[in-house]
Amino acid sequence: MSLETLWLALLGLLLAGYFVLGGYDYGAQMLHPFLGHREGHIEGRRPGPQAERADRNAALDAMAPFFLGNEVWLVAFTGVLFGAFPHLEGSLLSGLYPLIVAILVGLVLGNAAIQLRGRAQGVRARRYWDALIVFGGALPAVCWGLVLGLLLHGVPRRPDGSFHIGLGGVLTPFVMACGVTTLLLFAAHGAAFVALRSGPDVALKARQLGALLLRAAAAAAGLALLLTLFGAGASMTNRAASAVVVALFAAALAGAWWSLARGHRVRAFVATCCATALPVLLVGAGHHPYVLISSAGTGLTVDHAVTDHATLKILSAFGVLVVPMILAYQAWSWWAFRGPTGRRHPSYF
Amino acid sequence: MSAADLARLQFAATTGIHWLFVILTMGLVPLVAIMHTRAAYTRDPAKRAVRERMTRFWGQLYVINYAVGIVTGLVMEFQFGLSWSGLSKFAGNVFGAPLALETLIAFFAESTFLGMWIFGWGRMRRGVHVTLIWLVALTAYASGYWILIANGFMQHPVGYEVRDGAAYLTDFGALLTNSSALVALGHIALAALTTGGVFVAGVSAWHFLKGTQETELFRGSLRLGLWVSMLASFFVVVVGEMQRPVIERTQPMKDAVLENSGSDVAELQARLVKEYGPGDYVPWQDTMRISMDVMTIIGNTVSTITIIALVLLWKDRLIRWRWASWLLVATVPFPFIASAGGWVVREVGRQPWLVYGELTVEDALSRVSTASLAVSCTVFIAVFVALAVTNWTLISRFARRGPDATQLGATEPLPDDAPEGPGGGGADEQLPVPAL
Repeated sequence: MSLETLWLALLGLLLAGYFVLGGYDYGAQMLHPFLGHREGHIEGRRPGPQAERADRNAALDAMAPFFLGNEVWLVAFTGVLFGAFPHLEGSLLSGLYPLIVAILVGLVLGNAAIQLRGRAQGVRARRYWDALIVFGGALPAVCWGLVLGLLLHGVPRRPDGSFHIGLGGVLTPFVMACGVTTLLLFAAHGAAFVALRSGPDVALKARQLGALLLRAAAAAAGLALLLTLFGAGASMTNRAASAVVVALFAAALAGAWWSLARGHRVRAFVATCCATALPVLLVGAGHHPYVLISSAGTGLTVDHAVTDHATLKILSAFGVLVVPMILAYQAWSWWAFRGPTGRRHPSYF
Repeated sequence: MSAADLARLQFAATTGIHWLFVILTMGLVPLVAIMHTRAAYTRDPAKRAVRERMTRFWGQLYVINYAVGIVTGLVMEFQFGLSWSGLSKFAGNVFGAPLALETLIAFFAESTFLGMWIFGWGRMRRGVHVTLIWLVALTAYASGYWILIANGFMQHPVGYEVRDGAAYLTDFGALLTNSSALVALGHIALAALTTGGVFVAGVSAWHFLKGTQETELFRGSLRLGLWVSMLASFFVVVVGEMQRPVIERTQPMKDAVLENSGSDVAELQARLVKEYGPGDYVPWQDTMRISMDVMTIIGNTVSTITIIALVLLWKDRLIRWRWASWLLVATVPFPFIASAGGWVVREVGRQPWLVYGELTVEDALSRVSTASLAVSCTVFIAVFVALAVTNWTLISRFARRGPDATQLGATEPLPDDAPEGPGGGGADEQLPVPAL
């Protein structure tokens, strides 16, 4: 396997990792008002600063220890995009300008709200932060879906390789369907995560909500698939590979729904993890060797997008050391905070 | 305003505000790490309790600031691709590598370990927990290193050659040892430590003015903050001066403007026109000189104040003489202003170049419509200013409330303290008892 392919795989891994980890954050953010306050924690508290913290929320507690470690997958994705694929980075980010700005605004507000909500004084301030948390989950979720839709469909590249996406490019049925699918999928994924980490009452509620959301996500994804079959959707370069990934995606959705309905929380979460990661594989494998298409079979290839070979070799020397370390300490943090949330967990966010 | 002006304003405003969070983050984290280490290895239980409260109090202020710093940092990673795609077209082969390595080596680790540190109170073994905050400190500075390697390439490009209008990396070692980056890193690290030390000393002095009961906690903090800021503010001036020869060698125009030598500026302008074609190669002179003066005056004043304050610690005079305490409180904002001044000198002084002598800012601009830029510029500035106001409101609120109001590291009541609720209980009682 060539170095270029390895770095493309790493780029895909980082983006998929971000979709899986950031995805449940956004899902939990969107659902946190519905998954309610943890019961039995308001009375009988010690006086003092603890008494002010009658603001616990099961969904936010579930993701809290992992939150800071999740968002950096996106940062690493951007870093690798710039370092290894500078010619893709420049045209992709500036071409998708309005969508990227919307994602960033959502992320900034949502992330700040999650971390500062616990510092709020009084009910009104907390409501304001709560609203921002929902907004900061929903906006990036929709916009990432729109970005996926555009990447699957192809973008109008000019001869110099640049492009610009306006409202007209986004407001097509296929791209909108992708946006809605991702929104619902991330929400369902968040529900599966909350179900996995919370006490029985919250978990039951999260399972019911998750199953409902999965059905809706499947319907939206089905619409996108239908549009594609009728020629108004994705234009895939590798049809066979795409069909396999889509079949796996459908199986993951069905498996997640079945497991949630039957109460297999671990299985359900594994399935929603697969479902959130597979769209990245669809873009990557479905278009290979193109990384950015204008239509099926034309566009920017990996070889044109990649950095100079000398730079890539230096990056690889670091990557061989650093990537396994990243995976190791991330796994360590997941292990250290495993188990359901509860009283013996320090609460901070 | 033209598209280029808007893009510049957007970049300058977001970077400038981000920088104000970064400098406090970098300044506080080593202090918090020192406090935590001392707390963890204190035997006397009463003393240890005080030192642990101290760590959590300052740690919380640090974490509030970090929260805003990380979200604004997220935006920074995207900025180059959004508005300056000419940079990745020309210098992507060289400039992208340090940014990629920064995210993979430093940013990733810093954030993951900080998350574990915040939620590790009472759950992790002492040694591991202390190691985490040191790793956070280490990676924060590693992050600064890689960012300055990227920035150093913009100031003084090295280790590359240009073929067919694009830069190619030829000497990675030269890139990593760029003098323009390394001296600046030393200067910035010391400036951050000055900021953090003055912040800790100022807040402690304020609590003594308000007659705090936590005298032991704040006396320890005051001493640590003053020692760190005294040493750092002395050397920050020295290392700052060490940058001048580098600037003289690599950026003659910046040097001429700082020397306020009109004839040199005119001569260089004529030479650059001959070399690179017609254009204005003189950065905003007044802005640069005022910023330089502000930075120098503040640097020397802070250095003097911290030395005097340290002497006054003897026999508690600093605490008994109220004017001296008030002076320390009043000093807190000034290192921030000085560092903003330093940033203006470095980055405004680079204009009109994005990569010095190779690529101008104008030429690097993305093909983005002015309308999009106007919207994004307005939104980003509004959000960032709101975040800055929120950050400083929260920091000053929690700084004023004192250690009693610290939420960081506060575990929830044990099962026997609280009645068993219908929802929250369950499996968590079976978790191992923390080893702290």
